[in-house]
Amino acid sequence: MPYKLLEVDKKIPERKDHVYVKHCSDPEDHIPNCNTKTVPGSMSERGCAFAGVKGVITGAIKDVIHVVHSPIGCTSYGYGTKRYPTSPELPNGEKFPIENFNLKYILGTDLQESDVVFGGIKKLRQSIIEAHKEFPEANAIYTYSTCTVGLIGDDMDAVAKELTEELGKKVVAFNAPGFCGPSQSKGHHVGNLTLFENLVGTKEPPSTTPYDVNLIGEYNIDGDLWVIKKYLEDMGINLLSKFTGDCSHDEICWMHRAKLSLVRCQRSATYIADLIEEKYGVPYIKVDFFSTKYCSENLRTIGKYFGLEEAAEKVIEDQMKIVGPELEFYRKKLQGKRVFIFSGGPKSYHLSKPLEEELGMETVAVASQFEHKDGYKKMKDRVNEGTIILDDPNSLEFEEIIEEYKPDLILAGVKEKYLAHKLGVPCILIHSYENGPYMGFEGFVNLAKDMYSYIYNPVWSMLEFEDEPAEDGIEEVVMEIGLNSDELKENSESIENDKESKNEGEVA
Amino acid sequence: MSCVNIIEKERNVVINPLKTCQPFGAMFAVTGINKGFPIVHGSQGCSAFVRYGFARHFREPSEIAVTSLHEDAAVFGGRKNLVAGIENLALRFKPDIIGVITTCSSEIIGDDVYGFTETARENIKKKMGEDSHEIEVIPISTPSFVETHYKGYDTAIKSIVNHLARKDEPNEKVNIIPGIVNPGDIRELKHLMNMMKLEGIFLTDISDPFDAPLRPSKVTKPFYPKGGVSVDEIKDSANSLGTVSICKYAGSGALSLEKEHKVPAAVDSPPVGLQNTDKFIRNLKKFTGNEIPNEILDERGILVDSMADNAARYLFGRKVIIYGDPDITTGIARFVGELGMEPTMVCTGVKSPSFAQDMEKIAKETGSEIDVMVGQDLRAVEVYLKENPVDLMIGNSDGRLISLDQGIPLIRVGFPVYDRVGYQRQPIVGYRGGLYLMDLITNTILEKYYEPTHWKLQQ
Repeated sequence: MPYKLLEVDKKIPERKDHVYVKHCSDPEDHIPNCNTKTVPGSMSERGCAFAGVKGVITGAIKDVIHVVHSPIGCTSYGYGTKRYPTSPELPNGEKFPIENFNLKYILGTDLQESDVVFGGIKKLRQSIIEAHKEFPEANAIYTYSTCTVGLIGDDMDAVAKELTEELGKKVVAFNAPGFCGPSQSKGHHVGNLTLFENLVGTKEPPSTTPYDVNLIGEYNIDGDLWVIKKYLEDMGINLLSKFTGDCSHDEICWMHRAKLSLVRCQRSATYIADLIEEKYGVPYIKVDFFSTKYCSENLRTIGKYFGLEEAAEKVIEDQMKIVGPELEFYRKKLQGKRVFIFSGGPKSYHLSKPLEEELGMETVAVASQFEHKDGYKKMKDRVNEGTIILDDPNSLEFEEIIEEYKPDLILAGVKEKYLAHKLGVPCILIHSYENGPYMGFEGFVNLAKDMYSYIYNPVWSMLEFEDEPAEDGIEEVVMEIGLNSDELKENSESIENDKESKNEGEVA
Repeated sequence: MSCVNIIEKERNVVINPLKTCQPFGAMFAVTGINKGFPIVHGSQGCSAFVRYGFARHFREPSEIAVTSLHEDAAVFGGRKNLVAGIENLALRFKPDIIGVITTCSSEIIGDDVYGFTETARENIKKKMGEDSHEIEVIPISTPSFVETHYKGYDTAIKSIVNHLARKDEPNEKVNIIPGIVNPGDIRELKHLMNMMKLEGIFLTDISDPFDAPLRPSKVTKPFYPKGGVSVDEIKDSANSLGTVSICKYAGSGALSLEKEHKVPAAVDSPPVGLQNTDKFIRNLKKFTGNEIPNEILDERGILVDSMADNAARYLFGRKVIIYGDPDITTGIARFVGELGMEPTMVCTGVKSPSFAQDMEKIAKETGSEIDVMVGQDLRAVEVYLKENPVDLMIGNSDGRLISLDQGIPLIRVGFPVYDRVGYQRQPIVGYRGGLYLMDLITNTILEKYYEPTHWKLQQ
């Protein structure tokens, strides 16, 4: 039987459909049941729709004010929770005057009992006007519905419309109260639709080139986007709009002018790529930049689309020269290590194969909080026979998987990390990363390095007091800390030097 | 001239809050019970965000269940979710106690949480038989749109005590309501009480649950951290010699024990600094009649020694602003005054008249003029600092960017601290906590305001 009722789920047998062990001869549509209501009290790791829209989609936009229409909690929790840095540069060449504005401020209406009884519209209006006064430099104001607002029925769209005229600045309302949908995923969807309907097609870019792309579903976690941006620009491709890492409000408004959309996080942002294709005829491709293999393949695909094949090859070649030897080191160290990937969604299929093929690891379990069918199909395609695939695993299942599948390392979120450690298994943050970026060639090295340093952290061989310790001290391999220096450094320096001298040669 | 100058909030919108909603405080309180499990009756974000916050600050697992309200519950009510949620939690995790915490959504929908909890209790009894008697299920009403996290904490402690405390043989213990503090603080209080030859009942005790040892050989299935106050201890709190709440904003549990079970209550500011710790020790003595041993007075003496040696030289007249939870800021403001520094502005996100009164007292003691912001936010602090520069900021990590922008060093205290490690383990209460905080302040001043090569640092 491919579907598995875990021991800890005996009392909630409905979980059986959500846990699937890959069996190669199974029909294609055998995947975990997903995107359905959460089992109450199961200790799920899921979040709410508000987290999906503000925490994922819009929170990365650098020049807008975020006003959360909520009792104080949602506003507090929306503050600085995700690591998406921004640069002050705006598309018109100016600089936004407040650095990291998106990480620095969150605003809220602090709804009280009387607002719940009489409605919160007045307070919302007033708050948005005050927000506008407080930060006149902001280029738009985004405001968010929450559970309370969804239940008392404030018409936020009407307020947004009125105030857009009154203030002469775009006000956009996002209607994703926390309770809507089974998980964060619903909030992603609402975020996509709202931005598309309100913004896309409303402005024209200052200039265009034949190589303009939208990079969609890339949120610049720990600087991921900047890594990819560099590769694309080195190839001669222009990032006309980002959705939404290091992105400005205006960029969303002219997404319809791109020649091609690249969809990176395919769970949270394929929606807008679809809508733009349908309405404006801009085609899109799904891309994957995790690992050297996927990154190379996808840069080649993009290169081919624009007739920039050689430029793509050059980027790949240069990068591989730098990261190749380092990855070789990590491959030796990580060979055979068992890994359990529990991501929000797509990273479970982005990383499963690269960890195996490029680093010699074994993906023994994959899981996701809010992935849908298409994602689970990919997840299933990219794991080996016998790998367990879980939808929305809860903490008891998490414990059982650790016990039964004995991973050497877990990639998961901060809510799971410390539980894993208590059970004696190292865990790396995969939503917001440890020492990212993790994307692209150098990002994959960062990931490998973090995995290495967590697995080989000497502490794991000293967990318990020993009455009679081994004479030579701890048995496990002592970390080779020198991996960044000496040989490797010389190696990459000589490559850099080669590059420089080559460039000089070209100029001459 | 000594006075306080109340600075009112000038806008309606909150920018970078210094408070959060009620359920947070209740989740914190229930986590401090041995095998205690909070279940939040609301949307998933209500638990996920708080778990995230706890994990980030304490670097510990934080297991908080949720009834996962979706649209259908918003329309038809959350009965099914709550009853099934409590049952699933009880059957699978077998906790000793479940705190059922309401939110904005469940309160607006109007769910009869008390009735639903009763149904769940009956169902559990049917399914678990005898085992079910050991599971206490306690409803805690914490609508998010009323007051703040402190109210939620207060309500939770009161609900737990009211539900469990039973009059029996008198014990020789003192109940402590610690407020929203760190594991290091609770351990320091225990240390003081140990020296007084006194056992405490902590209502509740997050010291071990939020700072648990990593010892795989001791791991239980399901995972519960060691420690926390036990249900039996809470029951026994009705028989204690007294209750000291070291949190002025969470005294109702203490008052309720006084009213219902004649356990005398003392509700005071937290023992931060010399005088507040003295007061705490006096309270313990008052309830127990136990002598104050020399070890405690020696600890006090070490703090006094350090104040005598260093405060006048390095700290005197330095201007400080303090922001955060009302009880901790009150305590720190008083201590900073004891060190000869000037608490020029104190800000809390909680609206409370007694906060301003406390500050008035401190202003009189220190002979200084204190700007007091009540019910304000971090943006107000930022704007204030632009006009009124100071030497030092004391508050949580959320002020780190203000500190960076304005070049004012930040002493991290309170919740949350996520950009440094170990702060949750260091006490700021008691004489040793005072010493730690004072050293931290002094060294920060030395680092920032003294030239490293200057002869002033030579001896």
